[in-house]
Amino acid sequence: MRALRRLLFLAGALLLAAAPARAVVDSCVECHRGLDDPRLKAPTAGFPHDIHAERGLTCAACHGGDPADPDPSAMDPEKGFKGAPTRAQIAPLCASCHADAAFMKRYNPRPYVFSMAEWQTSVHAKLAARGDAKVATCTSCHGVHGIRPPKDPASPVFKTNVPRTCAKCHNAGYMKGHPVRTDQFALYSKSVHGVALLEKGDVSAPACNDCHGNHGAAPPGVKDVTMVCGTCHGREAELFEGSRMKAGLDAMGKPGCVTCHGNHGVQHPTDAMLSAAPGGTCAGCHRPGSVAEQGTSAIVASFRGLQGSLSTADSLLQLAEVRGMETAPGRGNLKEAQDALVGVRAGLHSFDPKQIGAVLAEGAGLSRKATGYGREALRDWHNRRLGMVLSLVVILILIGLVVAKIRQIEN
Amino acid sequence: MNLADWLRERLGLEALDHVIEKKRVPVHRHTFWYYWGGMTLFLFGVQVATGILLVLYYRPSADEAYESVRFLMTQVSFGWLIRSIHSWSANLLVGAAMIHMFSAFMLKSYRRPREVTWLTGMGLFVLCLAFGFSGYLLPWNQLAFFATKVGTDIMGSVPLVGPFLARLLRGGDQITGGTLTRFFGFHVAILPLCMTALLGIHLFLVQWHGMSVPPGAEQPVAAPKQEMKFVPDFLLRDLVGWLAALGALALLAALFPWELGLKADPYAFAPAGIKPEWYFGYMFQTLRMIPSRVLGIEGELLGIVGFGLGALVWALVPFLDAPDGRGPRARFWRVVGVLAMLYVVVFTLLVYRGGPS
Repeated sequence: MRALRRLLFLAGALLLAAAPARAVVDSCVECHRGLDDPRLKAPTAGFPHDIHAERGLTCAACHGGDPADPDPSAMDPEKGFKGAPTRAQIAPLCASCHADAAFMKRYNPRPYVFSMAEWQTSVHAKLAARGDAKVATCTSCHGVHGIRPPKDPASPVFKTNVPRTCAKCHNAGYMKGHPVRTDQFALYSKSVHGVALLEKGDVSAPACNDCHGNHGAAPPGVKDVTMVCGTCHGREAELFEGSRMKAGLDAMGKPGCVTCHGNHGVQHPTDAMLSAAPGGTCAGCHRPGSVAEQGTSAIVASFRGLQGSLSTADSLLQLAEVRGMETAPGRGNLKEAQDALVGVRAGLHSFDPKQIGAVLAEGAGLSRKATGYGREALRDWHNRRLGMVLSLVVILILIGLVVAKIRQIEN
Repeated sequence: MNLADWLRERLGLEALDHVIEKKRVPVHRHTFWYYWGGMTLFLFGVQVATGILLVLYYRPSADEAYESVRFLMTQVSFGWLIRSIHSWSANLLVGAAMIHMFSAFMLKSYRRPREVTWLTGMGLFVLCLAFGFSGYLLPWNQLAFFATKVGTDIMGSVPLVGPFLARLLRGGDQITGGTLTRFFGFHVAILPLCMTALLGIHLFLVQWHGMSVPPGAEQPVAAPKQEMKFVPDFLLRDLVGWLAALGALALLAALFPWELGLKADPYAFAPAGIKPEWYFGYMFQTLRMIPSRVLGIEGELLGIVGFGLGALVWALVPFLDAPDGRGPRARFWRVVGVLAMLYVVVFTLLVYRGGPS
């Protein structure tokens, strides 16, 4: 009997051990899913796909309460229920986790750690602090109850989506009454950067946040513009920083870079810009006949000369290639000369005739080499033809002699 | 005693003199086709001579092959000419070998006792194709790389031995620098060795049996023989053909220098319109046109097996045709020869006319 009791006890223990654990039910999702009010029901549709939900966080992580309680008492403030945060509360609420490096490292060994200090430098945060309820906060850009990580193409802050996300607010309708331009998206989408990013999907092209910052978004100041453009256009910015042009623009209170190139609507720079004649970019400030205009004209002439000699070299090499000649070494010289031309274009930002002249001379030397190679290839081509004709003549004479010998033998 | 006599005494050249003196070539309405063997031999000689010059500069590794050919073509005096002649001559050589083979087939030169001559000729033709296939990769350019990939892939489809054959050729599963070195080894060592041996036997047999007279041109035994001396009559006529071939090579090399193309990049996309050298064209086109499945059998496999069987039958034709070259059986094989030529010509042209793919 005792043995039977022991056996029954053991069987019961085994059954209990084998029983599946009861699934944890989130009462917030369960209840809100069944509500009629779309405002209260909507979060349950997107939240299962939210990065926070994927990482195991529940509604209670932001809203508090007890998700294990199946009754409305789950939303008892005594159980920590906070409800929906106000607009002003959103950034500090997100920061409570995202600014906590130790907490974020639990999910990512190299986490992005949000900085409230940086956020507070943004125009958005400053206006919010003054009570402006229309400015952006975290959820304005990242979304809510369906937030995707920025690397996800579905995220509104994925690189190619950023300009349209910014334009959701930065448009004439939403910005009515605010002293801020609203043509940025229209200009940007037709700019060299916008076309590259939005039309060609080139994620190396800058979006709004690359120049303005994201969490600390603000218009770059006059002094900062070169720094902003220089993050990508480093060589040009470095040369410009040491140029007399910078000092001149600073004295006039004009920003670097954008004075000549524009900002949101920046276009691919063309060589036609380089002219002090009417229509050229330099003509915007320099009068015809001025010292600056004369200096520019001299550089322009040399620049066009190099372009012309590159074009000549290219034509000669092309002709040689069409005629079946090997032109790789000449093409190598031409490529280097073309690189020098690109170097001249960058070097123009030094506004130093000597410096520009040195690069122009280097390019001209390489271009001469390429031209020389092209000419040599064509000369060689002519020589080959001549050699072929001569060898054919010799061969025909030999054939004639052999045929004559055959005839002689036959006779 | 002058040097010639001195050598004659020591090398036994009298025997050679005797052979030369005795050697005759039959003269009839098909004599023209006899010149194509000599033409093939001459072009092979051009290949050997230019190949030796090329090998002085060529470096058989993936890092250096392309650059060494470029150096040869741009920096070495007449390097472009040597390479162009080597490439053009290779093509003319295969063409001449084809003409020689088909003319021997149509003139039924393979009849007794020349069955082995025919078989060695077939072997030489296969070696020519192997020379072409292995040499094509050596400049290590983009077209050659991908054409070799396609070619070795097809070989990999051969039943039973295919995978082994493909690995043997590539030296692995992919075309790599190792494949290039291996192909170089085939091209300059293994194939020339086989070629020399087989060519020696072939020439000896041609000499031994003399020229075959086609069935329609045979004369009664009593009639005076229509023939010419090999030296100097036939040889001088051969020389005219060789000089003409040399002229054609000079013309082709100067007007259409062989391109170098872009360096092979295994990670690049295969260039559009990849096609093999023209002499593999008819096989390539056939494989392109065969449906993917025929009667439940994979189309490509069927094509490869078909080529194998076709080549076997072609090689064994001396044993299948009528021994005297006359009668219905002989006519049947003549029709087979005409159809084979038509097939090769039409399918080769289809490759270049953008035939169905």
